[in-house]
Amino acid sequence: MTSAIQTDHLVKKFRRVEALQRLTLDVPPGAVYALVGPNGAGKTTAIKILMNILRRTSGRAQVLGLDSSHIRGHHLESIGYVSENQEMPEWMTIGALLAYLRPFYPTWDQALEAALVKQFDLPLDRKLRHLSRGMRMKAALASSLAYHPRLIVLDEPFTGLDPLVRDELIQGLLDRAKESTIFVSSHDLAEIETFASHVAYLEEGKLRFSEELSSLVERFREVELTFDTPPALPPQSPENWMQLSAAAAVVRFTESRFDPERTSAEIRRVFPEPRNIAFSPMSLRSIFLAMAKSGRNSA
Amino acid sequence: MNQVLHIFRKDVRHHWLEIAASVALLAAFARFDIRSWSQPYGAMATGIAAALGTQLLPSLVDFLLPVSWIFLIVRVVQAESLVGDRQFWVTRPYDWKQLLAAKGLFVLTFVNIPPFLADAFLLAYAGFHPTHYIVGLLWLQLMWIFLLFVWLTALATVTNSIPQMLLALLLIVLDVIGTSALSSAIRKAELSGGIDQWWGLAIVGVAVIVILMQYSRRRTALSRWIAVGLCALLTLISVASSRATPDRSSIVRQYPLSTGSQPVELGLMPPAAHQDESAPFYNDEVSIRLPMSVAGIPKDSFLNLDGMIVTLTNARGFRWDSGWQTNSQWLFPEQKTTPLFFQIKQSVFDQLNSGPVTARFLLAFTLYRNQNRHQFVVPSGKFSLPEVGTCTTEPRYSRGIRCLAPLRRPAFLLVTSENSSSTCAPGDAETSPPSGIFLHDFVRGASEPAEMGISSIRQVDINLSEWEPSVGRVVAVGICPGTSLILSTPQVTGRRGMELQFDNLSLADYQPGPRKGVH
Repeated sequence: MTSAIQTDHLVKKFRRVEALQRLTLDVPPGAVYALVGPNGAGKTTAIKILMNILRRTSGRAQVLGLDSSHIRGHHLESIGYVSENQEMPEWMTIGALLAYLRPFYPTWDQALEAALVKQFDLPLDRKLRHLSRGMRMKAALASSLAYHPRLIVLDEPFTGLDPLVRDELIQGLLDRAKESTIFVSSHDLAEIETFASHVAYLEEGKLRFSEELSSLVERFREVELTFDTPPALPPQSPENWMQLSAAAAVVRFTESRFDPERTSAEIRRVFPEPRNIAFSPMSLRSIFLAMAKSGRNSA
Repeated sequence: MNQVLHIFRKDVRHHWLEIAASVALLAAFARFDIRSWSQPYGAMATGIAAALGTQLLPSLVDFLLPVSWIFLIVRVVQAESLVGDRQFWVTRPYDWKQLLAAKGLFVLTFVNIPPFLADAFLLAYAGFHPTHYIVGLLWLQLMWIFLLFVWLTALATVTNSIPQMLLALLLIVLDVIGTSALSSAIRKAELSGGIDQWWGLAIVGVAVIVILMQYSRRRTALSRWIAVGLCALLTLISVASSRATPDRSSIVRQYPLSTGSQPVELGLMPPAAHQDESAPFYNDEVSIRLPMSVAGIPKDSFLNLDGMIVTLTNARGFRWDSGWQTNSQWLFPEQKTTPLFFQIKQSVFDQLNSGPVTARFLLAFTLYRNQNRHQFVVPSGKFSLPEVGTCTTEPRYSRGIRCLAPLRRPAFLLVTSENSSSTCAPGDAETSPPSGIFLHDFVRGASEPAEMGISSIRQVDINLSEWEPSVGRVVAVGICPGTSLILSTPQVTGRRGMELQFDNLSLADYQPGPRKGVH
């Protein structure tokens, strides 16, 4: 099956700054794919190239089987795009915006539009310039979902929104997840964790990893070893161990390739018999913090 | 879905206030224009209220109306801005051709059609049937499109706000001023060339390319560079061509020297016979005025002295060349005298004035034949003047004729009258000059179907008033009912050059009167 989004050694340079460095990722159809990373990682740049808003420097990018640089006009009938910094027609009311966009999309579903308006509680007679940030994002999302797009692209949709609005947006997305592929960029890991099926981590323009969320969460563990006496830390620890530290008789680290048997065997190989070994699952936030700190330490 | 109409309707809803303001200004313009037709030429308003109503407000409207069109164009183009990457419409299924067509439809509907209708109304009000002038009315709108709207639209596509647009306009104006100043500083005079229309076409062509590139690809950086490159190229060409001031050989190429009879017989007259009033000198320049006798111009012809090159040489071999100096002196068959004047720097004059000089002139003439020459006796009231339009005499101020011409003035009309044929009562302070003085007025307009402008009515004022050297003062022929005029449509029959040489000239003898400095 054709990937919804595919990039191959995608590069984007702004003069001397390499915003994207040979980005290669694959978004399967039907996925809820989260592109996460710190500020300035290149997430928005990647999305704008996919949406043919920016031109790439080199490499390949395909969206719904089409070269991204050819996406224009009627190709956008199948793609919904919402961005936190997109300039909306401030003078229009929400109702006028929806009525204006309706004829552009042959698949526009007025019943769905009505349902979204009700779900998001959108005041149709209010001008966009008079809306709060959260209401504006909901209006933008409603205008991008009402035509059953095959691909929904969201660039930092949750930034600056209160939890209630975030929840409404996520729910609105999840309701569409069956018929659409969702590609969302965010640095809000707590929200991503609740609904993404895949996650990719971008840092300084480089893709650190890209995999299913379930397998990511499954392979990371917080490990705590308790000893009778303070142990000596090995000069060289396995590369899959991150943030190795000792405090008195307790050693802690993050295991990035967790397997109960293999990890236990590896621990016993490195350390003398620990009195206790404890494995704790990690949140997405903890995983990324560990990766970020590990990356900085190695740099 | 027809995106053109859909986007058009959206733009109308969004910009209805600007549209209404523009239409209101157009209505005001029409009103003031009609009122100006009945204002005598030369009449001044008395009182603040009158000045406001007859001068200030109309001038303001004249200025604001094209500004409102520019504003509308910029606003509608920038409603779907082509600059930047945050516009909501770039990720919506707009078809760029239909978007461009929608903007074009908007400009056509609210910037072209209202003036077209207003112009038709003005024609009808002035007594001209609009249907007879459809081609001219359309031509007028085409000129607005190509001379202003196209490149303004191009500018609007590479800017994303009104302030940015104004800044771009300011830079263009500064570039034009700078180029003009630089060209003038290099050389003072040039032959008029035919390159302007080609550069106009080039500007329109580049503007169209920029518009298409922006709408189809949004290559803003490249579009801006193309626009800047065009400005730079125009600047370079303007400055470079100003260095190529015509020399003698290029003048002779354009104005071939007569092999047989000369176009006119010019003879140098003694200086004492023609004491003109003093001519000012500018800063460190001295005016020299040579009175010439005129003869030999065929009765149905006349000439214009387009320019000349003057070379002065003294006995010590010191030589001064004026370079090409443009002029515009008309020479008519009935004319007996004419001055040849030029300026030289004081320092050069001082060197040459030490003794007699040899003066060589290369004169460049355009020759005209008076065609369709016929007599016209001015009737009373409103009358139709052939080739011009509807006219009335103006007995109080200018004592000439005020005409309303549809769309353009005549391409070239010559009005002649002999001063004794005037039927106007002489003014209190006037003393009648001797008869036999022929006065002329030219009306020169466009040969195209319409002249550029907002109104479809061109006001033409015909006044016969000239400085007459034979009597040493201004002579005016008042045009009143009963005055006989000779009308003709001159045709260019050729260009000729003529060489004159005068030996043993004392320059000081030909300085006109006591010198007055103008600094």
